[in-house]
Amino acid sequence: MSTYESWPTRFEAELVRLGVPEPRARRLTEDTAAQAAEQAADPAGLFGPAHLYARHLVTELSAPVDPEPPRFATAGPVLLHLSAVGKRYRRRTVLRDVDLTVRGGQVAAIVGANGCGKSTLLRICAGLTRPDSGTVRRTRRVGYVPQDGGTAGWLTADEHFTLFGAAAGVVSRRARSTGAHLAARLAWRPDPGQRVQQLSGGTRQKLNLVLGELHGPDLLLLDEPYQGFDQGSYLDFWRQVHAWRDAGRAVVVVTHLLHDLNNVDHVLDLGER
Amino acid sequence: MTALVVAGLSAREVGRRRAAVLLVIALPLWFYLVRRDLTGQSIRMLALGIAWSISTLTLFVVNASRGVDPRLRLTGASVVGLVGGRLMAMSGAGSLLALGYWALISLDQTVPHPLATGLIMLLAALAAAPFGSLVGALLPRELEGALALLSVCAVQMLADPDGLVAKLMPFWSVRQIGTYAVDDADLSFLWQGLTHFALTWLICAAGTLAIFAYRLRIVRYPEP
Repeated sequence: MSTYESWPTRFEAELVRLGVPEPRARRLTEDTAAQAAEQAADPAGLFGPAHLYARHLVTELSAPVDPEPPRFATAGPVLLHLSAVGKRYRRRTVLRDVDLTVRGGQVAAIVGANGCGKSTLLRICAGLTRPDSGTVRRTRRVGYVPQDGGTAGWLTADEHFTLFGAAAGVVSRRARSTGAHLAARLAWRPDPGQRVQQLSGGTRQKLNLVLGELHGPDLLLLDEPYQGFDQGSYLDFWRQVHAWRDAGRAVVVVTHLLHDLNNVDHVLDLGER
Repeated sequence: MTALVVAGLSAREVGRRRAAVLLVIALPLWFYLVRRDLTGQSIRMLALGIAWSISTLTLFVVNASRGVDPRLRLTGASVVGLVGGRLMAMSGAGSLLALGYWALISLDQTVPHPLATGLIMLLAALAAAPFGSLVGALLPRELEGALALLSVCAVQMLADPDGLVAKLMPFWSVRQIGTYAVDDADLSFLWQGLTHFALTWLICAAGTLAIFAYRLRIVRYPEP
C-alpha cells in the first residue's frame, strides 16, 4: 500500500482487510470522515493512525452488549500449538511434556513456582530458545515482551518506536505515531526528551508493551508485563489484553498473580520447580 | 533501512554519554603527549590510543544492545542490519576522531608522508570498530571485555614489531604504515600494513557476524 494514500483510503482498506464487507467499510469511512469534518479536524490527528483506528473500530463493533468481558469468546484459528515440549539445561530438566493450544481471541496464562520454567517456555514460544523435544507450531507474526530489559537506556521512547518500526519495515513517522497512539491506550504520553533510563519501572514496562505490539502481531507473549504498574495501569493493562483478545489476537501471559486467572481462558500450571 | 536507523541511533546513544565521549577523545591525546618529543613513537602511540578508545567504545555499545537485539530480531531485523549498523556508527565516530588527530599531527609534527600519517589514524579507528565488536561478541560482560582489550593493546605496544606475536595482534598495520610515513621506509611497509588491516577487518567483521548470527538465531516454527 502506498504511504501517500489518504487517511480514509487506508482506513477503508484496513477495514476490508479485517473482514468488514466493502459496503459497510465504505459507510464507516464516510461516517468517520464526517465526524472529523464536524470537528474541523484532520482524521489522523483526531483518530490516530488509520490501521489502528480500523482495528479499534472493528473491536468496538464486535464487542458484546453485556458489560462483562467475553471470557470464552468465539475462538479463532490456532495461533500457537505446543505438543510434548521439553527443555533441559545440562542435567536439569526445566520443562517436560508441555502441551498448550491457543487460538485467536483467547488469553492463556502460564503459572507456576519461581524457576519452574515459565520464562523459558515463553522464550520457546517466541523462538528465542530451541526446545529439546516436542513440536511447536506458531503464527509468523509474534510480539514478545520480556520481564525486564529489552530497551536501550540512552534512547527515548520515540527513538525506540523508530528503531522497532525500522526492524518491522515501517517508516519512522508512522512508527512514532503508532507508538504514541498505543501508549495513549495505556494512559501514557511519552515525553520526547526523556531517556528510557529516566523513566519509572512501570512506565518502562508500558514502553515494553507498546514495543511488543508496535508491528501488529497476531500472537502476544507477555512475561509478567505489569511489574511496577500502579492499580490504574494494571487495570488499563487488562483492558488492553481484552481488547487484543476481542480483536481476534491470541495472548499468552506469564503471571504469578492468581487473581489474574479470572481474566483468562486457559491456565497452564507448570507446578513446582 | 534497519542498518541506517541502527547506525543513526547508536551514534545518538554514544553522543549522549558525554563523559565517556570526552574520555574517548582525550585518551589518545595522553598517549601522544607523553612521547611528543619523538615523532615516530608519538604518532604510533597516538594511533594505538585511537584504536584502544574506539574498540572500547564499540565494546560498550555492543554490550548495551544485548537486551534489545533479540526483540529486534523477532520484530524482523536482520543480523547484518544490526551488526552492520553499529559498525557503521562506530567507524564513523572513529573516522571523526582520526580526522581530528590528523589535523593536530599536521600542525605539530613534520613527517615525510603526511597523508600516510592520516591513513594510520584512519585505519587504526576502522580496525578498532570490528575488533571491539568481536571482543564484545566473545566476552559478553563489560569488565572481561575491557580487560581483554587492555591486554591486546598492551601486547601490541610492547611486542617486537618484527616478531610473530606483534603480527598476530590487530593493530600491527599501524606500526608498518608508521614506519613508511615517519621513517620514510620503502613502499612495501605501506602495502604490508594495508594487507594486514584488510585481513584484520575481514576476520573481525566476519567473526562478529558469525557469532551474532548464532546468538540471535530465531527458531523458525511451521504455522499451525
